[in-house]
Amino acid sequence: MTNVASDGSRPRGGDVQSLADEPAEATGYVPGQPDMWAFVLFEAFLFTGYFVVYMVCRIQNPELYLQSQAQLDLRIGTFNTFVLLTSSWSVARCVQSAREGEFRSALTNVFLTILFGFVFLVSKLLEWAHEIGKGFGFSSNEFFSFYYFLTAIHFLHLLIGFIVLGVVVHQLWSPARRSQELVETGATYWHTIDFLWVIIFALLYVMR
Amino acid sequence: MSAAATEAGTLPDAPSGSLLHRIVWHWRHNPKWELWFAWWMMVVFYNLYGVLFFMVTRVQPPPPAWLDASSVVQWFDDRHQGLLVGFAIVFLITGFIVPTNALLAYSMRRMSVSRAFPYSYLVIYSMSAVPGMLLTCVALTVGAMRPDRDPELIHWLYDFAFMAFDGTMGVFLIGSLVWMLAILLDENRVFPKWFAYLNLCNALTEVVVSPAWIFKRGVFAWDGAITWWIDMVVFVIYTTVFITLLRRMIVREDFGTGPLPELRTEEEAAEDARKPSVSMGTAR
Amino acid sequence: MRRTDGELILLWTLPALGVIWISAFLIFPGFVHPMSPTMSAEEVAAFYRDPKNLPRIRYSMILFNWFGVGMIPLLTLLVLQIRRMAHRTPIFSYCLLGCMAAGPTLFLIADLFWLLAAFRPERDPALIQLFNDLAWVTFTSQVPYLIAQSVILALAIYLDRQSRPVFEPWVAHFNLLIAAALVPAAFVGLAMGGAMAWDGLLSFWVKNVAIGLWVVVMGIVLGRAIHRQRAEEGVAA
Repeated sequence: MTNVASDGSRPRGGDVQSLADEPAEATGYVPGQPDMWAFVLFEAFLFTGYFVVYMVCRIQNPELYLQSQAQLDLRIGTFNTFVLLTSSWSVARCVQSAREGEFRSALTNVFLTILFGFVFLVSKLLEWAHEIGKGFGFSSNEFFSFYYFLTAIHFLHLLIGFIVLGVVVHQLWSPARRSQELVETGATYWHTIDFLWVIIFALLYVMR
Repeated sequence: MSAAATEAGTLPDAPSGSLLHRIVWHWRHNPKWELWFAWWMMVVFYNLYGVLFFMVTRVQPPPPAWLDASSVVQWFDDRHQGLLVGFAIVFLITGFIVPTNALLAYSMRRMSVSRAFPYSYLVIYSMSAVPGMLLTCVALTVGAMRPDRDPELIHWLYDFAFMAFDGTMGVFLIGSLVWMLAILLDENRVFPKWFAYLNLCNALTEVVVSPAWIFKRGVFAWDGAITWWIDMVVFVIYTTVFITLLRRMIVREDFGTGPLPELRTEEEAAEDARKPSVSMGTAR
Repeated sequence: MRRTDGELILLWTLPALGVIWISAFLIFPGFVHPMSPTMSAEEVAAFYRDPKNLPRIRYSMILFNWFGVGMIPLLTLLVLQIRRMAHRTPIFSYCLLGCMAAGPTLFLIADLFWLLAAFRPERDPALIQLFNDLAWVTFTSQVPYLIAQSVILALAIYLDRQSRPVFEPWVAHFNLLIAAALVPAAFVGLAMGGAMAWDGLLSFWVKNVAIGLWVVVMGIVLGRAIHRQRAEEGVAA
């Protein structure tokens, strides 16, 4: 998948020398496509909207929410958070390796990221199955509606994340491609879903 | 493609003067008339849609999903004339949403991607207005036409109408993804990449509508904060953005098949026009 | 050269379609003297329960169901002729494709509602009346795509600025007239009696005659265009 860089001045990933010389300061340097940052911002607004609605509903019915939250297992939530934070670390290492031209290492790291993402996915599915088994479904009560809603919409972003990581793998695989910009764009997206998860975790599991 | 369109999209100086005079002049001379026609139809249609659905018929913002039959009868009663007149106008003008879909499909045709994209998009959106909007209008018209009908039946028509309206989420979901993919793959720079991601946001908000089928109260009902209000904000932003981007596309259009030229300021365009060999689509 | 095999066959389906549609129209007992919206639920139920009516309702609607989309191949031929016009973009042909996709769908839905009304005539009369209402309103008010189709076709013809345009200008004027004739039917919801009601002069007779006239005239005009095109391309080949 080719991508004409939107400002035309970013070099392709294969040119290691010029990349290493690139200044890392904020002026004139935005990692990845600026367009992805626009998306991140917009998604952040959207999720903020959802979080605000959640908080408003919660304030109106604090006991129901407290009781229902007690049904969630904090350990699974913490484990999920840990897994995603680790995956962010591995994708950051991937970007770093790609920047230095160490493409084998970069590929290893992106595969690690995918693996961690998969662990999160399985753990989430198991958690849902567990909660449904206990009798708490989407329409059980208001809290659980939010729980499934927020985790499901995040899950959807995670699935898209796999596609994004797939694009990153595709880029890193062959020397003909290796657009540093695309790798960074993919990493930006992955960090975003990690960041969103941390907030969801805080709202649903921790905040009591 | 077409028989006589060989010259590039140059436009001699447009006249000033009354609006009608200018419209007639453009009809006669503007090579991009078809594109502007489609664009203006789109702008007019969306504005009319807003007026008709929000002010004349007052069916948006949607009424609560938890109303009982007698309240629903009251709701119809309060809006009796507005519903019938408003939807009559909708029945008249709905066909003119078609140029919007045509223009959007054209934007994909101008891209470097396969023709499968514009054709898929055209088919998806062409059939979407039938269940997604017209059935709603038919159901509400039928509901308003006989106020003495059994309240339970009127209640059913009410459900039918609003759920049919929400039932087109799949259309915007798949359609937005098709457009997004086309933009991401496009090498002709017809649209900026961030707009592709905005399509993804729009698609995701469509997924968010689905709880409306399950809940009758609260933020997940068809009138809820999440399924309607936030969704509508995103949709309005999305629509405003693509209307603006389509306008820019038409201005930039050079009827070629390569990358679309960037937008020039008036000084740059004037300078280019002075050079004899350069021809490009100048601003309207 | 464009592949044109089979177009003439598709074109000749039009008279066959016409015969089928007119037959179905005459068979359905609620059309030749159109049912009035002011009929009470019991009267509507009696209409559907009448053993003389019921088979006619069902068979005519089944015929419409089979052939309701029969117009689409012909409309596609029209789209292909628009592509031959001197336009810079395919916008007009796309518009017509859009109209084509939506219009027959609405007709099919109206057909479904009539068939549903007739399916269990022993049902509660209020329910039968509901389905009957839904069918009639859908059928009568499904003019938007037909109006847009005619207006856009007219515009496309006016913009076809070449020495020998695909369609002559009178076809465009004709289409605008047809579009105007279809306008009153959109207002069917506002009248339970009189010219604009679904059984009235404007919403029923003018609308349906206009549609029939459009089909006949456009069929002939399309046929001539296709024959002319084949002659021109046959000479070139």
